[in-house]
Amino acid sequence: MKYYLYWGCSLEGSGSNFLVSLKPACEALGIEFEEIVDWNCCGASVSYVGANDLSIKVLNARNLALAEAKGGYDIVAPCSSCYIQMIKVNHEIQEDEGLARQVNEVLAEGGLSYKGTIKVRHIMDVLYNDIGPKRIREKVTKPLNGLRVAGYVGCQSVRPYGEYDSMERPVVQDRLLEALDAEAVPFPKKIKCCGSGIFLPEMGYCLELVKDILGDAVVHGAQLVSTVCPMCAMNLEMYQGRINQKYETDFNIPIVYLTQLMAVAFGLDLKRDAALNYNIIPPEGVLKAAIG
Amino acid sequence: MSEKPSYDTSFAQEVFQNVDYGEEIKMCMQCGVCSASCPLAFHMDYSPRKIFAMIRAGKREEVLSSRAILLCTSCYTCKVRCPRGIPVIDVMHGLAHYALKQGFVPRKATAAFGREFWNQIYKIGRIDEKDLSRRYFFEDGFVAGIRNSLEMADLGISLVLHRRMKLLPERKIKGINSLRKMLDKAAKMGKGGVSL
Repeated sequence: MKYYLYWGCSLEGSGSNFLVSLKPACEALGIEFEEIVDWNCCGASVSYVGANDLSIKVLNARNLALAEAKGGYDIVAPCSSCYIQMIKVNHEIQEDEGLARQVNEVLAEGGLSYKGTIKVRHIMDVLYNDIGPKRIREKVTKPLNGLRVAGYVGCQSVRPYGEYDSMERPVVQDRLLEALDAEAVPFPKKIKCCGSGIFLPEMGYCLELVKDILGDAVVHGAQLVSTVCPMCAMNLEMYQGRINQKYETDFNIPIVYLTQLMAVAFGLDLKRDAALNYNIIPPEGVLKAAIG
Repeated sequence: MSEKPSYDTSFAQEVFQNVDYGEEIKMCMQCGVCSASCPLAFHMDYSPRKIFAMIRAGKREEVLSSRAILLCTSCYTCKVRCPRGIPVIDVMHGLAHYALKQGFVPRKATAAFGREFWNQIYKIGRIDEKDLSRRYFFEDGFVAGIRNSLEMADLGISLVLHRRMKLLPERKIKGINSLRKMLDKAAKMGKGGVSL
């Protein structure tokens, strides 16, 4: 199975452990990826400060046009901001002829056009619906043996359409965790926002959001938190020290990408493939104990 | 003869015309689901529901200078839960963009961060996280920049040590010139209002 992979800016930087682990974990399942050549940023969460809505639509339409020109495959966007921007713009162009004309008039400035034939998918959608928990389970050679994981979905990765999972009570990540033989603990705050793209400028407010999310995971017995979003991963992991200072808590819980857990359970290399050494709060201890 | 209550709809008209998704406000029935769902509503001076009511009531200064319109984490909860299908988040983003263009600064830090974010996309077509943070830290000059950088130094170093920061400078995408042409055109063609 082949897809375009639109990994976006974060996965080359703060979310590098997502991209590093995503490739071998998906390859083990027979998924092939092709890069969208010369892709640009999706605009993410805060572009609206400097840009009007049409400009942000055009950013995404350009990427869609580049993929469509080569044709053939769905686009997989693992970063939740890339995903939500791209799937939203894609739907809007597909459903609104006036907008499609307007966007194409702008794309023509750069010699591009977009007909609206491409489908945008989240990586969890592909793993759950195209591969399925059963085939994932078959690849597991190092089961996670009941490791208690809080599957943090965050806000953007199942929105704004809920195409492959419930937007209020998502279960797909939990089912994928269970396929690796982990225990998905109850986690009521799994869709509560962490502050996302404005965490840095609004840290005073956002630390509290993350404190509540981490607290919920810990209260429900999680040994680590799994996520599929580079903003979630960074905000939940990097600021635990700041939260402990501010709220006199003692969080020290590893935050890993679902794809890192897959690489571990598939028996791949813990550093080269699972990128566990990229994590600031080391997950090796708890993972090695689980796989025995 | 008793005096009739007067309504000044000029600000609402201004919003309908100039703000991206501004006309969606007409659908609002003031139920407050957006405000109850918003992760940062607690810290806002006016909740999203109130902002919509104030637009109808003509409270131009209060709305365009309200920090509420720039405190959006873009979680989309308001949009997916609105029973009347209003893309609340898109309206708030539109309002923030318009307010900044009109010279209001509802929230200094996020405005500065967002401006640097967009400038970088326009300059190179992508986001270079280290460059974005550096420019943001130095927004208020050298001294504040050094102070901000020192405050965050431990986290930055930790990212570098764990290979979570791209050390090479990000290069422009190949199609940057054509991307800029498109963005220039979109800025003129789209809504969002003109700068004062």
